[in-house]
Amino acid sequence: MQVLIFSWEYPPRVVGKLADYVKELAVQLAKNMVETWMVTYHDYMTGEFEEDGVKTYRVTNSVKTHISVLTWVLTLNQEVERVAANIYYKVGGRIDLIDVQDWHFIPAAVTLKKAFGIPFVYSVESLEDHRSHGANSPFNMAIKSIEWLGMYEAGWVVVKSEWMADEAIRIYKVPETKIKVVKPGSARWIKTILEIYKSLKEGSP
Amino acid sequence: MPNELRVMMLTWEFPPRIIGGISPHVYYLSRSLAKNAAKVYVVTCDFPGAPQHETLDGVEVYRIDSYKNPSPDFASWVYLMNMNMQKEAASLVRELGGVDIFHAHDWLVANAGIGLKHVFRRPLLATIHSTEYGRRNGIHSDYERMIHETEAWLTYEAWRVICCSNYMVSHVKWVFGLPEDKLVMIPNGVDAKECEKSEDIDLNQFRRKFALPEEKIVLFVGRLVYEKGIHVLINAVPKVLEKVNAKFVVVGNGYMQQSLSEYIKNIGFAHKVMFTGFVDDRTLRNLQKCADVSVVPSLFEPFGIVALEAMAAKSPVVVSDTGGLSEIVEHEVTGIKVYPNNPDSLAWGISRVLLDENLANRLRENAYRKVVEKFNWDKISQQTKKVYKNVLNEYSRTFWA
Repeated sequence: MQVLIFSWEYPPRVVGKLADYVKELAVQLAKNMVETWMVTYHDYMTGEFEEDGVKTYRVTNSVKTHISVLTWVLTLNQEVERVAANIYYKVGGRIDLIDVQDWHFIPAAVTLKKAFGIPFVYSVESLEDHRSHGANSPFNMAIKSIEWLGMYEAGWVVVKSEWMADEAIRIYKVPETKIKVVKPGSARWIKTILEIYKSLKEGSP
Repeated sequence: MPNELRVMMLTWEFPPRIIGGISPHVYYLSRSLAKNAAKVYVVTCDFPGAPQHETLDGVEVYRIDSYKNPSPDFASWVYLMNMNMQKEAASLVRELGGVDIFHAHDWLVANAGIGLKHVFRRPLLATIHSTEYGRRNGIHSDYERMIHETEAWLTYEAWRVICCSNYMVSHVKWVFGLPEDKLVMIPNGVDAKECEKSEDIDLNQFRRKFALPEEKIVLFVGRLVYEKGIHVLINAVPKVLEKVNAKFVVVGNGYMQQSLSEYIKNIGFAHKVMFTGFVDDRTLRNLQKCADVSVVPSLFEPFGIVALEAMAAKSPVVVSDTGGLSEIVEHEVTGIKVYPNNPDSLAWGISRVLLDENLANRLRENAYRKVVEKFNWDKISQQTKKVYKNVLNEYSRTFWA
């Protein structure tokens, strides 16, 4: 199995707790015979790296000046697409799926889905509604609209708690059958994720 | 037709959505490319009442849902619109089984163009119609710098950058630090037949709605904003009226309208200046035909399509000697050039044309001939197609092919 993971934070760039989680995920996947390609952001440490069995690609933003994290994310996605496409062509199109961590690189995942038919998993660490405490300014709503797009286009929505599953259903009206709860640290954690990947690869959801 | 060139045009405006000059440009270019054996797919923003997909004079037009995402400001809207445009265009390219080339118009579709280039590994061309640096006369805020850097990003990723005048070529080369061999000059065009088309209306009758029979008509067409130099024309009004009886007809909207009309009232010439606001195409064409002189007093003008349209309608033109206007007009041959931002010079130019009938007629004839020869869409689309061919030829020797 060949999997791309998109995450805006990945060690050594640690913003919150997502970075260490994604690192653990990538390393465990590689140990379980999944060909894992990590695509992430770094301000200047860009290029291709082999780290703990994980092929890691770091990109930077082509547009340096920004007015918000929203515009920053939206011009960064093309670099994610560029690297993902390079991997896609390098392996002769044999990419089974993308696991996109949080909302930042949903635009890239959706474009790659439309262009190549690669399905994706949307792994939710947090949602804008909680980060902004229910604020409904156009800025927050724009981010929510990207989260909605991710929920809508994803093959599976993976959340880390029952509570988050309820929130995804409440906020984005995601069908319950499209959500998988996978608790990090549980004994069956990586096994469950592999099962989710497998079902997406085989087109069962 | 087999082996037909397949071009995907990306533009944020396409008729009936008309905001500025990109919309008619892409419309005429696509239409004549389609006539010259190219398959053109235009992907653009939606517009109330316009269909999601239509075939227009051989051009396939796709309109995407562009107001789906709430946005805090214009630039964020542009980037979000690009996310949707890219998504829809990616589906379309997959459905079509590929296209040969992507052609993006201005930073407003930069993200989509760049993303599609890498995903489908096809060359990207960019036409730069205008720059943030030129529009704002410098970069003064993070917001403007972000747009400026997005424009630079587009020119960086493009295989070739097309500009519509030599002035814009040198401006773009300097402002983004581009190598010379990446730039191509292809002029903008005008459909002379359409501008000149006479309709079954009495132009004398029509003229009476705007001016008294003894008044000459001085026509201004453009947004009423600083860079278009409308204030220069307003300041020239009393100077022209010293020499010749005229009516100044000002077509267009903009933030300067109120202050200018108050000013003209205060100096006692309100009866000599008429602000019409935005008018439909047909009224505009008829006005251009009635005008005794058309004035383009811009301070910044990448190309100056409005001067070409006036020339095609056989109206004599007075333009400021700047940007693309300098290249369109040859002084005393196809029009009169005056110093930019100088009301005395502008008043001189206007009076000169209005007081000399022979000169006016000579300018009309020469200008019309020039428009038909140099600025016709058939020729422009062939030049554009040649650029596509050259790029595809270079591309065929890369590892992407």
